[in-house]
Amino acid sequence: LNAAPGRAPRQRVRFLPAPAPGGGGAVELVAARVPVLADHPLVRGPRFRKLKIGAGHRLDVKASGVFVLGIGHGNKLLTDLYNCHLTKVYTVGGLFGKATDDFSDTGNLVEKTTFDHITREKLERILAVIQGTNQKALLMYSNIDMKTQEAYELAVKGLIRPMGKSPPLITAVRCLQFALPEFQLEIHCLHETQQYLRKMVHEIGLELKSSAVCTQVRRIRDGVFTVDDALPRTQWNLQSIQEAIRNCQLKVETELEKTLG
Amino acid sequence: QDGGGLREAMAGVARRLLRRGLGVAAGPPSTRQLQEAEEAAPVFQYAGKAARRKDRVFVWGFSYSGALGVPSFVRPDAGWKKPRRIQPTPYRLETEEKISSAACGYGFTLLASNTRDVTKVWGMGLNKDSQLGFQRSRRDQTKSYEYVLEPSPIPLPLEKPQQTRVLQVSCGRAHSLVLTDSEGVFTMGNNSYGQCGRKVVEDEIYSGSHLIHQLKEFDSRVVQVVCGQDHSLFRTKKGTVYACGWGADGQTGLGHYNITSVPTKLHGDIAGVNIIHVSSYGDCCLAVSDEGDVFGWGNSEYLQLASVTETTQVNVPRHLPFKIGKVKEAACGGTGSVVLTEEGNVFVWGYGILGKGPNLIETAVPEVIPPSLFGWSDFSPDIRVTHVRCGLSQFAALTNRGELFVWGKNLRGCLGTGRMEDQYFPWRVTVPGEVVDVACGVDHMVSMVRSFT
Repeated sequence: LNAAPGRAPRQRVRFLPAPAPGGGGAVELVAARVPVLADHPLVRGPRFRKLKIGAGHRLDVKASGVFVLGIGHGNKLLTDLYNCHLTKVYTVGGLFGKATDDFSDTGNLVEKTTFDHITREKLERILAVIQGTNQKALLMYSNIDMKTQEAYELAVKGLIRPMGKSPPLITAVRCLQFALPEFQLEIHCLHETQQYLRKMVHEIGLELKSSAVCTQVRRIRDGVFTVDDALPRTQWNLQSIQEAIRNCQLKVETELEKTLG
Repeated sequence: QDGGGLREAMAGVARRLLRRGLGVAAGPPSTRQLQEAEEAAPVFQYAGKAARRKDRVFVWGFSYSGALGVPSFVRPDAGWKKPRRIQPTPYRLETEEKISSAACGYGFTLLASNTRDVTKVWGMGLNKDSQLGFQRSRRDQTKSYEYVLEPSPIPLPLEKPQQTRVLQVSCGRAHSLVLTDSEGVFTMGNNSYGQCGRKVVEDEIYSGSHLIHQLKEFDSRVVQVVCGQDHSLFRTKKGTVYACGWGADGQTGLGHYNITSVPTKLHGDIAGVNIIHVSSYGDCCLAVSDEGDVFGWGNSEYLQLASVTETTQVNVPRHLPFKIGKVKEAACGGTGSVVLTEEGNVFVWGYGILGKGPNLIETAVPEVIPPSLFGWSDFSPDIRVTHVRCGLSQFAALTNRGELFVWGKNLRGCLGTGRMEDQYFPWRVTVPGEVVDVACGVDHMVSMVRSFT
């Protein structure tokens, strides 16, 4: 970053003494545009000595996926994006037959159960109920008076969302794959933590009269940033980062305009 | 289940299994040893392959009349407990048999089972007009209970009690109808307007009455019975409709405004039409034909039939020319009506809280309720409404995912949302199971639910 050509130094108009055209020791002042010495690289030193990097929504150690970072002035956008309360999408993998103390497959075993009575239909029924109760909670935590016409109009468009603090809410769930004992869900959620998603997998197991642990939590979308915009480990270099920032700028701006006005 | 204790037991098993190998070094168990311990752990079975889903009944609403069937709400079992006037969220009612049909009247409820056992119908709630039959009192064998607080069997005078099955029950303001498969329709309760289908006896005392009347004279087998406020409608297999009871609003549809005490066939626009569904709860009636047309008669003070006539009482069935598609089901309440079309759209019209926000109070022409309010979205595009039901001033809709949506006036907590405010657009009721059917009353509701697994 420091090696890249920096900004051109500022110019200043100075009155410099120059020998008079008449000759012989007389000095006259000539206006000249000169670069400011304070901007000289040898005076200023390297442009970047440290970078401020802020993190967006947390992603814990056992999970993977899209992780949004803000660099320098971009940190201000992070706060604005947080206030937009956009949904995040995760793919959660689960395994039936086991229950552990931290709801993931690396924890201490608590119980083993049978799971041959579970069918995809039963799982989808449970998911429908989870979606229904969370839909209700969405409407309740959005702090809109249900008796107004605007509440009705927002509910019709499906735009009611809590714009403040709320417990973890799930806006949509769907089963992507089902092959006993494994299954995979796609979860759209708000204000959640990854451990909450693992606990949800555990509770789905309990509801189906068996037990389940979570094997994988992967965030595939965080607001406007999807896996396609994200940079994998091999691309953690300056050019890719700059290109990624440039590509996402427009998306972020339109989203902030739309939500925060 | 004591998870913590189980975990200690598991750790103990792991330690014991590890020590079994002689000369193994002490220390934290390695991954392989943990894996072996895990494999040796016992497997619990909570549900086998043959586990069946259980059928349950949930009730909610106003409880002091006994209509919810939970005696501890009215008479608490301990002195320090307070009686519960309103049950705001679904509460499970324990029943001995699987309930196949339920109906809510004005302060009382009937539950019926499809069984061949001798006891087929249970009733609870108000019994001042013997709408629940004769409930012999323990204190005085000659008197009947005026309020029945828990589901009590109703003795029906069946000829073959161990063969006949009860198909459906229906309740009105002070009378009830029980439909059987081979012995016609049984009626009980108030008959001051002939709604029980028998001759009106002057100054008859209905409380403590043993009389249950049987109706058999119809042109074919009766397949649906519906109770309005003070009238009764019978739909037969051939598609004809019979009515009896009070007619001052024209709700009997027989061409006059008098009382009818014998079930009489309806003509008008439904003569010769094969009717597949009839509905009524107040003083207005709706019928649906097999071709998807809607017919209405009765009270029209609230614009229920204003699309065809300006008069406020219609005493002959009239065809309602709505261009909304083929209608599958209709439900009629006190002041509003709702229909469900084949595509799964819900249309409402009438007066009151219709479900389209606080601004829509009355309309004579049906208006559609946006499907997104019932959970339809791009994410789940195959959600459809499968049934619609109507109470006196509330509406209920069931979807194919087993969710129950209610809206309307929340009289004494009858909506079951947990709040006491009126609901101006469809709202989900959280029921721990898949809702199969729901019956709406004036201030309480009963639902039949199947558990998830």
